[in-house]
Amino acid sequence: MLQKSTLTLRDGTSIDDLIDVDMHEVSLRTMSDPELYHHEMERIFAKTWLLLGHETEIPKSGDFIVRDMGEDQVIVARDREGAIHVSLNVCPHRGMKVCTGEAGNTQVHRCIYHGWAFRPNGDFIGAPIEREQMHGAMRPKEELGLKKARVQLYGGMIFATWNIEGPSFDEFLGDFKFYLDQLFCRTDGGLELLGPPQRYTIPANWKTASEQSACDGFHTLTLHRSLMEGGIMGATADTIYDMAPGMYGVDVSCHEGHSLRCIPAATTFKMFSDISFDGKTTEERLRLLPPPGITQDLIPQLMKNLSPEQVEMLATTPPQVGGLFPNSSIIFIFAPRMDGGASGALALHTYNPKGPDAFEFVNYIFAERDAPEDVKRDMLQNAIQQTGTSGVIEQDDADTWPAISRNAHGAVGKTITLKYQALTGDRKPEGWAGGGFVYDGFTKDDTQWNWWLNYRRLMASGL
Amino acid sequence: MQQPVKTLERATAAPDKSGVMRGLSSKIRVPVGSEVYNRVVETLYDEAASLDERRFDDWVAMLSQDLVYTAPLRLTRTGPNRDRDVVRTTSHFDDTYASILQRTGRLTKSAWAEDPPSRTRRFVTNIRVGEREAAGEYEVVSYLLVKRSRGENPHTEEVSAERRDVWREVQGEYKLARREIIVDQSTILMSNFAIFF
Ligand code: FES
Ligand SMILES: [Fe+2]
Repeated sequence: MLQKSTLTLRDGTSIDDLIDVDMHEVSLRTMSDPELYHHEMERIFAKTWLLLGHETEIPKSGDFIVRDMGEDQVIVARDREGAIHVSLNVCPHRGMKVCTGEAGNTQVHRCIYHGWAFRPNGDFIGAPIEREQMHGAMRPKEELGLKKARVQLYGGMIFATWNIEGPSFDEFLGDFKFYLDQLFCRTDGGLELLGPPQRYTIPANWKTASEQSACDGFHTLTLHRSLMEGGIMGATADTIYDMAPGMYGVDVSCHEGHSLRCIPAATTFKMFSDISFDGKTTEERLRLLPPPGITQDLIPQLMKNLSPEQVEMLATTPPQVGGLFPNSSIIFIFAPRMDGGASGALALHTYNPKGPDAFEFVNYIFAERDAPEDVKRDMLQNAIQQTGTSGVIEQDDADTWPAISRNAHGAVGKTITLKYQALTGDRKPEGWAGGGFVYDGFTKDDTQWNWWLNYRRLMASGL
Repeated sequence: MQQPVKTLERATAAPDKSGVMRGLSSKIRVPVGSEVYNRVVETLYDEAASLDERRFDDWVAMLSQDLVYTAPLRLTRTGPNRDRDVVRTTSHFDDTYASILQRTGRLTKSAWAEDPPSRTRRFVTNIRVGEREAAGEYEVVSYLLVKRSRGENPHTEEVSAERRDVWREVQGEYKLARREIIVDQSTILMSNFAIFF
């Protein structure tokens, strides 16, 4: 993991100067440097697996959506056989965008510039005026299709990478499949996206949001204190730091930089705190407090789709928030409503880079496909009110990240280091069934540091 | 290597769930310059001022308790579906009177997104008013341009939108019962919606 670095910027600064492995410090310069950004696009965004959407967005043959892989726009389309393909939205003729919309349905993607046409799988059909062979005679049609990425579905989520020969998706997930299955592969019908994603632009480097999503639990006590001042998490304005609500649990991460916070179900909110799990079976605990997004009717499906160890974890310390390296965030949280409606909010974010000082925040909102319609409706509303554009949680983050990127412009400011020195240490609770690095106790910097180590690994090796 | 294809016909995220933009739908127009029209315009101006001046209690007093407050997404479409670009499945706001109270309540606490507060300016124009079937209820369509300045940042963020409202006359005052904020951008160029529209 700590191989000698091979990345050196033009002014002689190496990746080891930017990321001090011994001191657990990262130069603030990383949060806006244009040269580093260009390397990131090549070494991370053109190489690793990226989350592009959900198969329920393109249910029918010919359906497509347009998404981003780094600054490369791609067409995500379903073909007649039902398979999903990801192709670069760049016409191989003269570089025009092939799809000019964001979503639609067609069996023939025709470039509006000169009319070259492509199938949903990216294959070249032909150019207009067939008798004149306007694609020329130098290359066969097989060579004139859209550039195709490698695709993998997982729990209905669509992932793709340009690294055709690179690590498999399973290798990318590392030890995390055990945890992620509990969120994405737990019911017969799977998750359903409740509509197209919210999209908005944040004037900050993509890593400000991504490193926070690698389980910065600590910031919630201060940045998100307005959510606790009302008392629903068992603390008041005066006692937030004494009570530290939601801080104790089990953080997990892995070599590949993903992370999750598994927070004891009954301690998350005050209204659940009189629930005692003592002496209860796993099923009884699930019935008392189903994990976010799961209804009583869906509980038998958990037993069917997951291992007993996974169900046990979901019943007691469900994974709730975290990140997928490099630029995705998971928010599967309890979101109690005042009106007795269905609680729970399930969202995924991607932070798509738009230059060193901007990223696009894409917010996907889910429910279990087999949940009743009124539950879906409540959960959609919960997620919109808590996350994304107007979400009261993420409003405060959206104002913090740009300030960090701006500070990284200062000749002096950029020499300041980000500190990841408060450590819990790899420590598994007794009987913990999951793999990876496991941090039992107060949420500290361990998982975020693992995020940076994987960043450094990819940046240094270019693999 | 892909999973088997499931039946996804009901999928709410399917692109064809989007709708067309419709402005005023009422057939009974309240003419520009009439008394009702003038009072509606005055109400919209007062509302904009209460939000620009961050008098949230005054703003909440203008809201009806059955308020439905939403902001659809816009989705760029082409060809035969090019006008179906308003998405009402997911949205940027999905609020009720109760949740608006939670939002304004939060703004009195440590809500750093608005502390320090934005300096905002809401420009309300192109106001069209129609009568609704229920007596004393008016359909009010307006254009909105919001300029928002944060901290010392010289860059001003802005949102342009069409608002489709229902205002109801209650004891001589108009209360907002329904608002749909149809923003023009598919990708919003504002780092959050911690302000109201
Ligand atoms: S650039 Fe697409 S057909 Fe010419
Ligand atoms: Fe946050």
